Amino acid sequence: MMKRILHGMALLFLCPVLVTASFPIGVTATEVETAQDLATEDDTAEGYAAEVGRSDAKVPHVTLRVCNWEEYIDEGGWDEDAVISLESGDIIGENSLVEDFEEWYYETYGIEVDVEYSTFGTNEDLYNMLTLGDVYDVVCPSEYMIMKLMAEDKLVPLSDDFFDTEDPNNYYSRGVSPYIRDIFDSHEIGGQAWSKYAAGYMWGITGMVYNPEVVPQEAAESWRILDDPAYNRRITIKDNVRDSYFAAVGALKSDLLTSPAFTQAQDYKQRLEKEMNDTSPETIARVQTYLQEVKDNVYSFESDSGKADMITGKVVANYQWSGDAVYTMDQAQEDGFYLNFAVPKEATNIYFDGWVMLKNGVGEDAAKRHAAQAFINFLSRPDNVIRNMYYIGYTSVISGGEDDRIFSYLEWNYSADEETAEEACVDYPLDYFFADPSLEDEDRYTLTVPKEQLKRQLGAQYPSEEVITRSSIMVYFDEAQSRDINQMWIRVRCFNIHRIPVWIWPIAAIFLVFCSFLWVYRKRQK
Amino acid sequence: MRFFRFSRKNLCIPYALYLILFVVAPLLVLFYYAFTDGQGRFTCGNLTGFFTDPNTLGTLCYSFAIAIATTIVCLLLAYPVAYILATGHFKTKSVVVMLFVLPMWINFSLRITALKEVLTLLEGNLARYPFFNTVIGMTYDFLPFMILPIYTTISKLDSALLEAALDLGAGSVQAFLHVTLPLSVPGILSGISMVFLPAMTNYVVLDMLYNSTYIMGSLIGSYFSAYNWHGGSMIALILLAIICLFTLLNGEAEESSARGGALL
Repeated sequence: MMKRILHGMALLFLCPVLVTASFPIGVTATEVETAQDLATEDDTAEGYAAEVGRSDAKVPHVTLRVCNWEEYIDEGGWDEDAVISLESGDIIGENSLVEDFEEWYYETYGIEVDVEYSTFGTNEDLYNMLTLGDVYDVVCPSEYMIMKLMAEDKLVPLSDDFFDTEDPNNYYSRGVSPYIRDIFDSHEIGGQAWSKYAAGYMWGITGMVYNPEVVPQEAAESWRILDDPAYNRRITIKDNVRDSYFAAVGALKSDLLTSPAFTQAQDYKQRLEKEMNDTSPETIARVQTYLQEVKDNVYSFESDSGKADMITGKVVANYQWSGDAVYTMDQAQEDGFYLNFAVPKEATNIYFDGWVMLKNGVGEDAAKRHAAQAFINFLSRPDNVIRNMYYIGYTSVISGGEDDRIFSYLEWNYSADEETAEEACVDYPLDYFFADPSLEDEDRYTLTVPKEQLKRQLGAQYPSEEVITRSSIMVYFDEAQSRDINQMWIRVRCFNIHRIPVWIWPIAAIFLVFCSFLWVYRKRQK
Repeated sequence: MRFFRFSRKNLCIPYALYLILFVVAPLLVLFYYAFTDGQGRFTCGNLTGFFTDPNTLGTLCYSFAIAIATTIVCLLLAYPVAYILATGHFKTKSVVVMLFVLPMWINFSLRITALKEVLTLLEGNLARYPFFNTVIGMTYDFLPFMILPIYTTISKLDSALLEAALDLGAGSVQAFLHVTLPLSVPGILSGISMVFLPAMTNYVVLDMLYNSTYIMGSLIGSYFSAYNWHGGSMIALILLAIICLFTLLNGEAEESSARGGALL
């Protein structure tokens, strides 16, 4: 008997050994490939392609592991009538952008690339996946997670040739909006600018989608709507600690943030960012009390259901990211009614998702880095940007630079048609985003749109400059701050034992005593 | 080659491998995390932390309350149904049983989504009665798990025992209370264990029915997404201990009730 068990165990341990033993062939193959990649290492794109062209033994091959948000890229398969007709030509998503990239990369650089595309649900999920040992080359976290990864030295900087605007294939550097470029250049962590490591993808603000028939615009334009008893159990709020914290801080400091002395101060922007990123123990405590109040006043904390509940009318207002707000308003419009979007007057959270390359994925591998940066550039090509924006509803960081297609897409999408009366139209300047000071082209970027668009999709997708003024970034909290805030959040969501009515305890005690008595009694009887 | 001689015992090797890889090893990791802090030093702080925080304790009580309420409602609904199914003389018995099992074949989240709409229709605003809705949702989800074991136990009862009781002058109510009910206790107990334990942790029902309060399952999840693996592992371990305790008690009760049946 014993012998058998031992045999069984030996077999058990042997199995993995046997399995690993059959692998060496595979391992050598990869090593050879890496060696080849290293041999052809060269910094400039043309040089790299030329090098590859010379040794025409076999088509070189790169695998690129990409991890992106769920539903955050055009997956193709559009209907024929979804075609976007611009003056410069039609744009339609036939295949997914990932497939298109593989094709484009081969055509442009003569290298076969194989994209392994996967997705994540939240920044925290992504971070946990990375710490658990999942290996990716390029990922697309939000700004605070990029800051965290930068602080932990997990990223590979973008190479110099990525910023070379002479190269026609560098769509990112040539097309990124000057407004976004400024933010990425001016925000630092550990003395290093974001732009050194991260290339933006989408951006947006937070605000309220609301039903204008029930909620007046003034009410939706304040974070205080969350604890307003007039909308008891009819508002949803985001189910994550950072968004809830921001909203709570905005509501608690409402008076200060809207006072003229504050908004007209010289250093308004810096002070706003400081106030909105306040993590002092007193503020955390106040936020906890406030969120507990909010929890008993709102419909729910939602992570995905808010959009559907807004459309089915279960709730009348929904704290939402601008991209999802656009999606919600689009859906409502398809169902034949209108929803609006309001940006709280106190402050709004401006956020960015950006591509970064990981040290344990890309590492020193020049071929991989080249493919990764080409991937970012391909997604920044204006027609692909339009496809993405049309498909997922979020706003790209790309303005197009000399290429006007993105702005013409906005005209195609939002401009008032000829039947709209002139007094119902309004000029909507977007120079802060589109105009490049170096190109001297004023007045070129003003849309003429129906008035109500300011409160709808356009206002959410491209906020006005006035909204942008009161937008604040939410920085990455260090470990101690995150711990306190996360703990605060758990306390908000937990059921505090003090809330149990006192009379329950004696009843429970009597019940327990009764049960144990019954138990002992039966044992004795046997 | 004697070493690789095939015996029946070897058939369980895949399962043993599975067990070691996916049950034993994670459990060890869980233990390691539960009793260490961020620096990897041994600590009991996670354990004492759980039992001194009014919020985690309150969540434990809240989960218990939901689980107990769900179990009671399930039992009250399931017993009569199972009894009628097992003792009645339908020609189409299997069809009726099928009707109760059928919902289990439909995807769980789809069922809860449907329930959500029905409850909204009835209540107007779901968010006003979170506890009540959760119990309804859980009951809807777990009812078949209560019906089936009770049904199986009752339908396997030796009808001679019941006839003997009736012959010896017991009324039908008396016969039920003294024969059928005690003999169906094993079914009830296994039904309880199949409903009570998942009801403590199934937070998807709460999420989908807009109950924003955490129960044990979501509490563990929140610790992990806040990168506090140590605290989360400890809560998972405590939950495991509770489940073990419950299963032991249940097993003992089942054993003694089985002995009781033999005596009768």
